[in-house]
Amino acid sequence: MALLLAVALGAQPQPTTIPEMWSAWCARCHAQDGSGKIAEPTVTVEPMDFTDCRLTSAEPDADWERAIAKGGPGVGLSPEMPAFEDSLTPEQISGFVRHMRGFCTDRGWPSGNTNFPRPILTEKAFPENEFLVLPAISHDRNDVEIKALYERRVGKRSMFEIGVPVANDGVDELEAAVKHALVSNDRSIVSLGFETVLSSSLAIFEPFASAGTMLRDWYVQGQIKVELPTDRARADRAFVYNAYLGRDTSAAPTTWTIGVEINGENGELAFTPQVRKGLTGTGALAASLGVTIPINKREQRGVRWVGYWLWEYLEPWRARK
Amino acid sequence: MGRILALGILGALASAQVALAQSGSITGTITTAVTGQAPVRVTIDQKVCGSELPDEAIVVDARGRLANAVVTVAGLKRAGGRESMVMNEKCRFAPRVQVARPNGSVRTSSKDPVLHTTQAQYEDGRTIFNVGLPVPGITITKAVGRAATVRLHCNTHPWMRGWLVVTDEAAAVSGADGRFTIDNVPPGTYQLRIWHEALKSASQTITVVAGQHTDVKFELR
Ligand code: HEC
Repeated sequence: MALLLAVALGAQPQPTTIPEMWSAWCARCHAQDGSGKIAEPTVTVEPMDFTDCRLTSAEPDADWERAIAKGGPGVGLSPEMPAFEDSLTPEQISGFVRHMRGFCTDRGWPSGNTNFPRPILTEKAFPENEFLVLPAISHDRNDVEIKALYERRVGKRSMFEIGVPVANDGVDELEAAVKHALVSNDRSIVSLGFETVLSSSLAIFEPFASAGTMLRDWYVQGQIKVELPTDRARADRAFVYNAYLGRDTSAAPTTWTIGVEINGENGELAFTPQVRKGLTGTGALAASLGVTIPINKREQRGVRWVGYWLWEYLEPWRARK
Repeated sequence: MGRILALGILGALASAQVALAQSGSITGTITTAVTGQAPVRVTIDQKVCGSELPDEAIVVDARGRLANAVVTVAGLKRAGGRESMVMNEKCRFAPRVQVARPNGSVRTSSKDPVLHTTQAQYEDGRTIFNVGLPVPGITITKAVGRAATVRLHCNTHPWMRGWLVVTDEAAAVSGADGRFTIDNVPPGTYQLRIWHEALKSASQTITVVAGQHTDVKFELR
């Protein structure tokens, strides 16, 4: 049938391989080299530069597959990106994503597939460009803490962050941390980090390790950390361990993600059921809400409401019309 | 038994006849003094599209008779025809203008060996759908929602335009000779609305008499 059509159409050869299809179809708007720079564009929105590893390496394959299948609106982007789910097979669509990965020629960037949704308390392994506000409110005591956190990637695999917690009695602390993705592949990532908490009377050094992987459709993330105060009279050494299990309810960036964390500090254990939701079409804004419930030593520790409001500041907020 | 059946059929025929006789029809000619635009210079896919295409925003013949105007009988509901079809052929949408029904669907297909897209938008610019047609022979069916004027556009061939006038009212598109016909209109007084993609809309009040053609003339400017 396809052959008949090709013959009927005479000289015009139809592309048969993914690179040929890219040149014949996608390059119209994305350019042959994927840069999106076209001399005479027929669309008004300039697509993301796929040769810019800094941007593309943070994108999971699934988001690109969804963009190709559903068109721009499927991932909160411009409708000028057409939908191809009725004209291409899923294999062709993932073939395009593999082809597009080749536009970033620089190796060593951790795969965007390991850019898992951030748990509330477990430090994620993937380095991020994010701004966060994290409130924590004690359920039965009058205890409120709000932390502002700025994260920025450095180089291909590293990140630094600066956090300012504001508690009932004002600002008394400053947190600074660095993190480096040590090993990563298409599904898993392991990072090492070092955090320092400074207050007027004390410094606490907190080396940590974070890891994440996918088990079928489930996100599994974990973190271990030791807290080493400079003055043992003012603070105790602690061993902190967090684990998260969660999954998305849809493939859209606006999905709800449901999950639960186990949070341990020395002998104290708690769990934190939580939900997360992408707030804009692209998921550049997201929020999470959970509740930390002690499992043991309940008398000393109450229930706390926790969550975050997150802005991925390099991602467009929403479709430019 | 046979006689009764024969009588029954006769009776049915007779009453159909009466129903037709009881309704009238509206015919008319749409003209304009406005002339068409110069052809579009094609710079993309010339092998398939050619190097020049007529600008079909205003299709008018030497006597000023205007095609692609849509005449709607306000308030006269019409059912049926839930599926419309638009073909991408020689880098044009064919037909350029058609009537579609609310909550129906539109099928889009291509005969051209180049990538076309069919982007359907409301007049305020909101997109209803945008689908890629990379190879000829694929047909994609998409829903059209509420009554509205829907513009079709191809993101790879910017001159391509098509229109779906989505309405549940009786409507017709004028042909190359500027003529249109709307049959089966019950007697009464109606307002006709005329829409054209590039010219000012107009309206006119008419009276339909049973068993007669009501012929109207419009000039759009
Ligand atoms: C008619 C022009 C056009 C064609 C053809 C087109 N695209 Fe796009 N595409 C766009 C535009 C414009 C955007 C950017 C939308 C935005 O940023 O709001 C985009 C975005 C994308 C994205 C999402 C990138 C991101 O920012 O996350 C992917 C993936 C993509 N296109 C892949 C493809 C593939 C593969 C093809 C060919 C099968 C293709 N596109 C064909 C115009 C097009």
